[in-house]
Parts: sequence; structure tokens; C-alpha cells
Amino acid sequence: MKFLCIDCDTAMKFKDVTRPEQGSVTAVFECPDCFTEIAMFLNPWETQMLKSLDLKLGGSGEAAQPMQMVRSQLETAKQDSMPDISSEMGSGETAEGGKCPFTSVISDAFEEKSEPEPDGLTWTPEALERLERIPSFVRPMAKMGIESFAKDNGHTEITGEVMDAARGNFPAQF
Amino acid sequence: MKSYKELPDDAGSNIIGQVTAQANRLTERLASVRHTVAIMSGKGGVGKSAITANLATALTLAGCAVGVVDADINGPTIAKMMGVRDATLEYASTGVKPAISSLGTKIISMDLLLSEDAAPVLWNAHTQKDAFTWRSTMEVGALREFIGDTEWDELDYLLIDLPPGADRLPNVAELIPNLGGVVVVTIPSEVSHLIVKKSITMARDILDAPIIGVVENMAFYVCKHCGEHEPLFSAEDTPDNAFQLTTLAKIPFDPKLSHCNDSGTPYLNEYPDTRAGKAIIEVAQKIQDFFKT
Repeated sequence: MKFLCIDCDTAMKFKDVTRPEQGSVTAVFECPDCFTEIAMFLNPWETQMLKSLDLKLGGSGEAAQPMQMVRSQLETAKQDSMPDISSEMGSGETAEGGKCPFTSVISDAFEEKSEPEPDGLTWTPEALERLERIPSFVRPMAKMGIESFAKDNGHTEITGEVMDAARGNFPAQF
Repeated sequence: MKSYKELPDDAGSNIIGQVTAQANRLTERLASVRHTVAIMSGKGGVGKSAITANLATALTLAGCAVGVVDADINGPTIAKMMGVRDATLEYASTGVKPAISSLGTKIISMDLLLSEDAAPVLWNAHTQKDAFTWRSTMEVGALREFIGDTEWDELDYLLIDLPPGADRLPNVAELIPNLGGVVVVTIPSEVSHLIVKKSITMARDILDAPIIGVVENMAFYVCKHCGEHEPLFSAEDTPDNAFQLTTLAKIPFDPKLSHCNDSGTPYLNEYPDTRAGKAIIEVAQKIQDFFKT
């Protein structure tokens, strides 16, 4: 991917990348001549494709950790076999020992920005009971998806009916 | 206005550099592996993993240093068959130490990373909807890390147990340009032949991969009462005719082999003199001969 400032006829440079929000990453590029900035938005599937290739927007400032992609992306991992690599990554130290201003941002770029609890959403006891029946390793993902579905569709209470309506969006049955 | 080719780089991401670094990492890791052998079929349920596990044992018992990559990311069985499901992988900055079987074979498998028996391989994503758009790429990435990030050290043979599908060998061939050889596994059924032919076409005619030969698994059943050979399937064609390839061995169905796979005990250690045991050892010998010539 390359970007051109049409006015200056100059190649734009990578400037910044944000953590995903709702699965979407934003990368900012700047013209080195006129300093015009543009933002490129990757939808969740494009973001996921980039993650799956273990490639970093803006370049990789440090060598990849062993099995970095699997360790950071496997949702159903055995925890004791997967030491946390977040502390090993994103320190900003380059291989040469220097500081790269973007490295910490880039290394963490695919860590989803923490989202606040959806405003005013409540779960009925029946819905909570059904949530508990979802296998533990997919429950957090299903809960987030149901809440997102409810919010997007104007619900303030998650009932069995809302879960039925949301079910088509998820692989797990509940 | 400048064109794509006139722009000096990709705005600083250096994607080509990142991909090259990944490839270099694989190459460096495989520099200490003498021969890589893919075990493929294209058809599911023919016993690829059982053959891989037992070939690994046969080669290990022959004095070779052997590693096994379970490339079946979604249906990993090698760890169970080789008795290492309880192993805990150790991570270091230089790589991941593989699980090691009772005989010393080194193993890496997705099964060693999953939280519980019922846990499928589920990748972290904002949504699992339309995951078909990226899941295959994630699986190839996992395979790249399994091969490239495991501390194999010096190996004579690295066996790669491929999942079903004619598209699987090209994925491995992309990762390992100097793939040493391919062993094709089939069963004597017309249905199996139909699918296996497609994989052979992919391997031989499109990838130009060196095929060592064909293993006919579950070739027959030896009656425990009278010793007669009873067919289990009904293909009229022999593998030689069907595929125009060398048949490495015909391995009879042996319930003891299945039992050993289930319990994670090395079949060849306990039953080296059975028909199936001798046939597996014969395949292992022919693989070694292939690389001597």
C-alpha cells in the first residue's frame, strides 16, 4: 500500500496507528512536504487479515517473539502454556537499543481498545442463565457480541428474545 | 502524477521487509534439519496421522533424530497418538521447546496449546462472523510459527502431517521451498483414489514436489483365526496403476495399532514383528533410501 499527496506529488509517510475500536484500525499518513494528513480506516475483516499475516502497520521495530501470532491471537489457549507476551512486546526498544517513537503503539496496535460497559444494559435472569450455558472459552466473546447487538438495535434489556435475535451472528449456540 | 512504481516505499511499513524477515526466520530454523517430508493424502480418514506418528517412531527407533509438525491446525491428533498431550511447552526468546515423546521424537501441535478437549481453535477477533475471509491465513501463519519457531535443533527428519485437502501441500511448499519429499497415503477404495489423485496432480504436476511414494493403509485385514487376508475396501486398481507412483508398502488394518494410537503408546515398540509393524518399518526404510540416492 502506498499513498501519494496529489498536490505535492510526494509519497506520504506513515505517522500513527490507533488500536482497534469495534475491530477497526485507523492509520494516519502525512505528506512530508505540505504536512497534509489522511486517515485510512481498515474494517474489522481487513484488520483481522493484517493480524493473521502478523504484519505491523508502520513497520516492526523489534524481532517477533516465538509463536507471537498464535500466542497473542488464540482465544481458546491453555493459559499455563501461554505466558503473557504483552510485557515482552511494545517496550519501544529497537533491536539496536534505540527508541522508536512508534514501536509501542505499533506493537500494541492490534490489542483491542477496552470498551466501557454498554450504557444502561441489563440482563434478565433467564438471559444470564442462557449465557452461562455457553462454553466458557467463547462466553466473553458471545457476551460482548450480544451486548453490541442489543446496543445497535436499541435494546436496554437483554432478554431471551434478544439473544435469539442475536444468535444468527455467532457460531456458538445459546 | 507519480505511479505506484515511482513511489520509493510503502509509506514506512516495509511490508516486504517484514515478510522477508518471516521467511528468513523459517530458513534459519530449518538449516539444521536435513530432510523435510510431508505426509499427505487430500482425503480425510485414511490414517495420515497414524502413519505419520508411526513413521516418526520407526525412524526414531532406526537411530534418526526426528521431529513432527502436526499441520492439522483444527483437528490435531499427533500429540495424543504420540503420548505427549500433557506436555507443557516452554517458551524462550530463541524459540519454543517442543514436546518430546517417550522415545525422543520432538512434536509440535495445536493440541498442546488448547485449553481443554472440547476447545476448538478459535481466534481472537472482534467478530467471528464472516471469519472465512481470514481464518485460512491465520492457520498458515500458525503453521509458519510451528515450523519456524520450534527449537528443533539438529534433525535428520522433520515430518509434516498435513490435514485433508488438495490445497494443503501448496501452503507448506510456500513455507518450505526445499521440501525434501512427499509421502502419499491412501486406502484401497475408489472414493479415496478419486480424491488422492487430485492431491497428487497438485504435488507432482503443479508444485513439482518430489514424491517418495504411496502408502496403502488399511490394505487388508488379517483374520486372527485362519490368517487369511480379507479385503476391507473394494478398489480394483492397485495404487501403482491408479497413481503411477511407487507403492512403498501395503499396511494391513490392525486393531492393536488403533489401540496404541488411542493410548499414546508406540506401536512399533510393542509390535515390531506384526504385518503392520513390518510394513511401517519398510516405509521408513524406503524414505531413508530415497534420501541416500
